[in-house]
Amino acid sequence: MGVTCVTQVPVLEGKSVQQTVELLSKKLELLGAEKHGAFGVDCETYHTAAAISSQGQTGKLMYVMHNSEYPLSCFALFENGPCLIADANFDTLMVKLKGFFQNAKANKIESRGTRYQYCDFLVKVGTVTMGPSARGISVEVEYCPCVIANDCWNLLMEFMQSFMGSHTPGIPSVFGTKHDSIYSPADTMVQYMELFNKIRKQQQVPVAGIR
Amino acid sequence: MPRAAAAGLHFPACPAPPRCCRPRREGAVRAKMAEGVLSPGVNLEAFSQAIAAIQALRSSVTRVFDCLKDGMRNKETLEGREKGFVAAFQESLHSVSRDLGELERLSNLVGKPSENHPLHNSGLLSLDPVQDKTPLYSQLLQAYKWSNKLQYHAGLASGLLNQQSLKRSANQMGVSAKRRPKAQPTTLVLPPQYVDDVINRIDRMFPEMSIQLSRPNGTSAMLLVTLGKVLKVIVVMRSLFIDRTIVKGYNENVYTDDGKLDIWSKSNYQVFQKVTDHATTALLHYQLPQMPDVVVRSFMTWLRSYIKLFQAPCQRCGKFLQDGLPPTWRDFRTLEAFHDTCRQ
Ligand SMILES: [Zn+2]
Repeated sequence: MGVTCVTQVPVLEGKSVQQTVELLSKKLELLGAEKHGAFGVDCETYHTAAAISSQGQTGKLMYVMHNSEYPLSCFALFENGPCLIADANFDTLMVKLKGFFQNAKANKIESRGTRYQYCDFLVKVGTVTMGPSARGISVEVEYCPCVIANDCWNLLMEFMQSFMGSHTPGIPSVFGTKHDSIYSPADTMVQYMELFNKIRKQQQVPVAGIR
Repeated sequence: MPRAAAAGLHFPACPAPPRCCRPRREGAVRAKMAEGVLSPGVNLEAFSQAIAAIQALRSSVTRVFDCLKDGMRNKETLEGREKGFVAAFQESLHSVSRDLGELERLSNLVGKPSENHPLHNSGLLSLDPVQDKTPLYSQLLQAYKWSNKLQYHAGLASGLLNQQSLKRSANQMGVSAKRRPKAQPTTLVLPPQYVDDVINRIDRMFPEMSIQLSRPNGTSAMLLVTLGKVLKVIVVMRSLFIDRTIVKGYNENVYTDDGKLDIWSKSNYQVFQKVTDHATTALLHYQLPQMPDVVVRSFMTWLRSYIKLFQAPCQRCGKFLQDGLPPTWRDFRTLEAFHDTCRQ
């Protein structure tokens, strides 16, 4: 596990999500990246049940996420809060806890796409979907040999510029709190959670852009 | 009699008789094969006669030793016994000298084999009719060419090496080593305590570098060097000489399943494979046989410059990446970062 940056790439004007993904993939392949399987990250939203919130606590949202890179794990996160890494059967526990946490099924969002490998980099270009509709494009770039986020940020940025151009993001906010501690898979999940939250709030892509 | 005795002394340790008498058919066959090519200077008739003469000589020599072995035969008187033995011995020695004379005569007739083949007698190998099965001749030519080339290059290399004052091993030491021939061997048998001290001192010298010393296989030390949170290096030592080094990622496993340092498998990441290559080059660069502790310290100082492996841009092109790799080379003198292809 190296250092990862997750970002959104806007759909190109006059193109569909699919076409923009294809264009990105083409750029990566021209660079010399090779296809290396598929990936998926999903996120379900849970509301804290009324019983708790009525006791004066604000209704917090909890996200339960999965990442195909860690098939045996399940991630449970609060916004700005702690991230719990549990075994995959955490999901069944959540079903048992439905008195306290209610699954907002309509809010389920996920990103699926292709993994690319280039030298020591791992790039995942995914289509973000919510229900039946494509809502955007996620790009995850991991530099595997390095474990300290701030050590390799410049290097990561230079690599992203080579295929994302002006859409290269700024330094992810999780990097800011890391200092020189070791980057962990939970940091990647936090980035996906933030990305999904941002996309949920965005206007739906115009109908022409879907599919 | 004195002559015979002397002759007897000149045939020491003839092996078991049957072997001596075995006809040398191979020789005859080879002579026949060579027939077509050998120069007219060789008299083939004399050649086969000479071979027969050699056989005769061998069997007469065998008879001499048989006679000596059997000793005196049973006769009525001691005198009779001695007489019979001496007569038989003399007789067999005479036949040896007769056969030898015959062989000498014939050998003058045989003449000299041709010397106009550049490979002399080994040139006869080219006569072998089954080239496909025993390509000895072409292999011989090939080997000859190679050895010529090898000798030439070795000459050049030894000339170059003798100009260098820093050398890795004792065998190639030039003039300077001859003055102090004992210096090299002693550095190979340094007491482990001394090695520990040197390593400990280096460990204290660099706070961002931690060195773990272990001796899993006898007296040779193995070091696990952890540089910040960037990389780990396995260093295999022989006394105070560094034999081998492998660079791996900070998050990579450096142990085998049974908990020993894994000194064989390489890193999964291209960047550390590259750094391993460069570190091996550095081992060859930093050499000072008289002061091995200085070598280890220089190597570690050089290694420490990788603390900024992912943070330092190339000093030549100013970029972080080239072909997906950060600047993996560190100049041996200035310790500046360069891409592998950007270094001078
Ligand atoms: Zn460069």
